[in-house]
Amino acid sequence: MVRTHRWFTPWIMVLPALVILCVFALWPAVNTFFLSFTDVRTLSGGTIVGLDNYRKLVDDPQLRAALVNTVVYVVVCVPLLTFLPLLLAILAEKPLRGLAIFRTIFYFPVIASAVAVAVIWKFLLDDRGLINGWATHAGIIQDAVPFLSGRWLLLFSAISLTVWKGLGYYMVLYLSALGNVDPQLHEAAAVDGAGPIRRFWSVTVPGVRRTMVLVAILVMVSAMRIFTELYILGGKTGGVGGQDVSVVFLIQSSASGADGRLGYASALSVLLFVMTLPPMALLARFNRKVDE
Amino acid sequence: MKLFKVAALGSVAVVALSGCGLGSGGSSAASSKVQQSVDSSAKLSGTISFQTWALKNDKFTPYFTKLIADFEKQHPGTTINWIDQPGDGYADKVSSEISSNSLPDVVNLPPDIAYAAVKAGALLNLAKSDPKINQTYVKSGLSDYTYKGVDGTYAYPWYLGTDVSYWNTDILKKAGIDQSNLPTTFDGLVAAAKKVHDATGGKQFLMSRKPNLYDIMSTGAPIMNSDGTKFTFNTDAAAAMIGKYADAYKAGYMPREVLSSDYQGNDTLFKKQQVGWTTSTGYYITSLKTDNPTLVPKVIGSPAIGLAPLYSQGISVSAKSKNPALALAFAQFVTSNANQTAFVGVAKGFLPGTQAAQSDPRFTTSDGTPAGNAAVLGAKTLPKAKSLGAPQWDQQDSDYLDQQIALAMTGKQTPKQALDNAVNKANSLLSK
Repeated sequence: MVRTHRWFTPWIMVLPALVILCVFALWPAVNTFFLSFTDVRTLSGGTIVGLDNYRKLVDDPQLRAALVNTVVYVVVCVPLLTFLPLLLAILAEKPLRGLAIFRTIFYFPVIASAVAVAVIWKFLLDDRGLINGWATHAGIIQDAVPFLSGRWLLLFSAISLTVWKGLGYYMVLYLSALGNVDPQLHEAAAVDGAGPIRRFWSVTVPGVRRTMVLVAILVMVSAMRIFTELYILGGKTGGVGGQDVSVVFLIQSSASGADGRLGYASALSVLLFVMTLPPMALLARFNRKVDE
Repeated sequence: MKLFKVAALGSVAVVALSGCGLGSGGSSAASSKVQQSVDSSAKLSGTISFQTWALKNDKFTPYFTKLIADFEKQHPGTTINWIDQPGDGYADKVSSEISSNSLPDVVNLPPDIAYAAVKAGALLNLAKSDPKINQTYVKSGLSDYTYKGVDGTYAYPWYLGTDVSYWNTDILKKAGIDQSNLPTTFDGLVAAAKKVHDATGGKQFLMSRKPNLYDIMSTGAPIMNSDGTKFTFNTDAAAAMIGKYADAYKAGYMPREVLSSDYQGNDTLFKKQQVGWTTSTGYYITSLKTDNPTLVPKVIGSPAIGLAPLYSQGISVSAKSKNPALALAFAQFVTSNANQTAFVGVAKGFLPGTQAAQSDPRFTTSDGTPAGNAAVLGAKTLPKAKSLGAPQWDQQDSDYLDQQIALAMTGKQTPKQALDNAVNKANSLLSK
């Protein structure tokens, strides 16, 4: 075979992407890892402190709270955002009149700004908000439900917002996956006497299993990196007494300001990266298995 | 050939990564740095940038436009580029400007952000270039920009503010509280809060805030030790004060959401007429005219309960200005008595940072309007106002204290534990 180009031609082709990747992804990641071993501040050079930042992580009570919140977020969000969008997709797939409107409605929260959505939710859930006002007025409750100031209520309010906002996005993923399920399988199962629930478990779920795993892992990683919902609903200190912080929350609060602890924030970032590795490895392994 | 390929790729990576380094490329501490003095008699020419903090709006833009035009007219051949930054995230913005060597020549800074900038060697020591600084500006304002362990003064005091108390007379009437005998102590405030609570069946409130570091300072607790190396405000008196707040909260004298960090504060509920007391600067009534004009006639002011906090704003000059003579001249122009007086004419309720303005009868004589009365009250309170005197206390410290006090008020820990935690955390955050 005769080569029709010089050896560096392909490299020139990928050079722009490579440079962007190095400058905006690879180098910051390497630099963050390096900074995690220093006591660098926003405006001061800092020195190498070895594992000091990692030792501080172990002793940080706020990090413990953040990890508990992250686990709760993952445990609740993953099943909800894996199954609910699938059910919605099955519903939205039906060739019924007017369903296009529902598809749009379900997808709307995805394109709405997270901040705008969270502000609306705050207006709904506040002690003096719409829900408490209506429930108090109707005599259902005496005192307002502390959706935004209760330790667990705030966390579950944020989870509800995350689930509501994610439904449409994952529904679209499932819609494309459902398109690949052979309708003849459903027909054959129906002929064999399988009801809708049986067909769902025996035909639909196996047909979209790969997408389900992908969705579950995407949700897991997103849940570990949660920030916006908690910040908007719980405020800059993460709810009452900082009980509703997340790891990203701590990264932001540690690094911000004129004397931000970039070294410590970098150590937190490395921890978050390590936390997201197992689900990503799981996904890679699953994909490899499917390919085999 | 293979080696050549690696070398070629390596050189690309090096080019791509050059300029990135450890951290943010901050400079070394300024305390030991010998600063240049600026020749203020030099002929002024060229262009400089001037940065304000959240002042580009319908209210203040005409003032600054005129101010800059006046200066450029007085000094032909000079150009001032005015930049304004939004209120949120100003510390981060200034930090990134310092890191990237793009700090504007003349910049409006509060004392805590200025302190971080001074440590990075980013600000000019004005005392070195302006021998009259101590005769021109007020001592309290200058001391806010004169830091322990650092030689010099790093901003011209610009405008000063303090808190006064504001009361909703409708709510006071409902609770039978005498308007001519308003609470002057914290215990008196709690007693009045109980009256409001009882009179309105817990539907309206008087108090609506968590205590902060100024409240701790009011108890006589020293914020830091004498050499400014450690926070020391975890005293029994401060814990007792937080305990009283916690008791008032438990008794239902405050809205429940006061504990949430997302709570907009007593100011918001005061404007909605759900809370009967708030604290703000002498400018408050002027802003209330826009936010809720129907409330203005119902509001009366009184001196701050406890210690009146001093809020300073200053005008600094970048140490790396390429035109320091012009930058210094413009900073002096912005903070001259005439220009500060004109500025405070727009920002009613604040006081200029010049000595000449302190005895100016315009600031201590009301025009009879509620806004004028409030402005005068603020001006009269200012001489007694005190600043924290701890520029090391930053937003992270403040947020953590807020969290700890919230936990104490919910009974999850004792007030003393809250203070101990806050002090330990603040000390661990102090940069070496």
